[in-house]
Amino acid sequence: MGAKRIYATCAGVHFFLIIVVCFGGIFPLVAEHRTILPSALDKYARDGELVATSVLGKELAGSNPVRRAIATYLHAAGSQSGYGFFAPNIPGHHKLTLELYYHDGRVEYDSPHVSGRAAALRLDSLLDRLAEPGYEPLREVIVKMLAFSVWQEHPDVKKIRAIFGSVNMPGISDFEHGKKESFQPMFSFDFSLRNEENQSTTR
Amino acid sequence: MGFLFPPETDKWLTVLRIGLGLQVAVYALFLKSDWNYLFARTGSGLVSRDLGEAIISFDSPFIPKLGWLVALGGHIGIGEETVLSVAWACLLCAGCCLLLGLFCRPAAIIAWFLHLCAAESGGLLAYGADNFMTMGLFYLMLSPLPDRYSLDHRLVKTKPKDPQLLGFWRRVLQLHLCFVYFFGGLAKCLGSGWWDGTNLWRSLTRPPFNIISPDVLIRFKYLLPVLGISICLLELGYVFFIWMKKTRSVWLVCILGMHVAIGLTMGMYLFALIMIVLNLAAFGPDFGSLSLAYRQRFHAVFTKQLTP
Repeated sequence: MGAKRIYATCAGVHFFLIIVVCFGGIFPLVAEHRTILPSALDKYARDGELVATSVLGKELAGSNPVRRAIATYLHAAGSQSGYGFFAPNIPGHHKLTLELYYHDGRVEYDSPHVSGRAAALRLDSLLDRLAEPGYEPLREVIVKMLAFSVWQEHPDVKKIRAIFGSVNMPGISDFEHGKKESFQPMFSFDFSLRNEENQSTTR
Repeated sequence: MGFLFPPETDKWLTVLRIGLGLQVAVYALFLKSDWNYLFARTGSGLVSRDLGEAIISFDSPFIPKLGWLVALGGHIGIGEETVLSVAWACLLCAGCCLLLGLFCRPAAIIAWFLHLCAAESGGLLAYGADNFMTMGLFYLMLSPLPDRYSLDHRLVKTKPKDPQLLGFWRRVLQLHLCFVYFFGGLAKCLGSGWWDGTNLWRSLTRPPFNIISPDVLIRFKYLLPVLGISICLLELGYVFFIWMKKTRSVWLVCILGMHVAIGLTMGMYLFALIMIVLNLAAFGPDFGSLSLAYRQRFHAVFTKQLTP
């Protein structure tokens, strides 16, 4: 009986954390007007988000053992994020185009690539994440790494211009009217690889 | 308390072990050509592993990562490339051992640990399938292994496991899946695009999931809203209808059909496979008792016909 109680308590704590993580994923969607719910619920969604964040210990200092224990457990159990895949709506598709400038004035175009389809799915998911506001501080460094991976295949390139943007796919009626996909640049970075200097511009 | 500890056989555990073994092996084989490129440090890979690991360390420095193994290898003079290759080979071996039921518990722990290391170190490149794999392997390594169909059981006659403990771990998996579909369905219901078919169109036409040509899809445009709403209701209703005896089989078949369709039409094979494995282990029919029931029915009919 004692062992059963321990198992039941552990399961209770486990599912409590999972429910909090799941609600922590849904509240920001409501608060950011990304759902069909009325904006009157924004305030409650923000409050709910704060509660979820606090329960998971994310308001505590980074070195706090409780925060670290909860985070470690959730990652180990594969439950650190909610289950809102492709929800509430389908995220946009993003593309990184690299303009390769050679010493002799030639310009070629390339993009970061991998061999297998399984890895390609992962690369696409990274590019889609880069567009999210939360990834802004990391954007330049990640784009630089992706550009560097391509530069290794073209060592005689003088400069790389990385153009990141969203690919707008036509809707059903637009497609029926013959509209094709369009590319909307979001930002670009210039990397001078010879002297390790780089400049960036955001559009 | 009785709800959490229903007596169960270990057949569901066999399904979970074999399914996850297959999943781990396929995961390793799919990433074989890109493994070192995805997880290398700055300068030789796609995105630096260091960056992914630094981001994870903000959450907690105790989350397992490939960097630990590389550092360990460094201490004994083994280079990064070799350590990564050995980690890949060990993951594949662990998957094969799980498939066969050989060294079940160590194989489950090694598979969970190595997959978790890869998923966390490549966190920037991770997606949904990784979370479900970690979740499945986490439950598998804690469950009462080995099951009676494993080689371990045949080689070393192990004692039968406590049916209530087996039932507890199956219940945990069942409850977890209910949360997965409930929250997934709820989030979808909150998006306008799932009610008018827009989201289904967008998901099937956007790269890299655009396996079916839009010219083919457009012929079924009137079906898209129906399918979109069906997906929402199927996921949201899972938490209720999967528990009822009368609706369980129908719901399970529909959910499995949905994942097969996701795999085939969007090319998300790993995601489809892990969801099918988890669903079959959690709510799949008890194949043994099913065949026993058929045998009994067949026997009853047969003897009735022979009786004058």
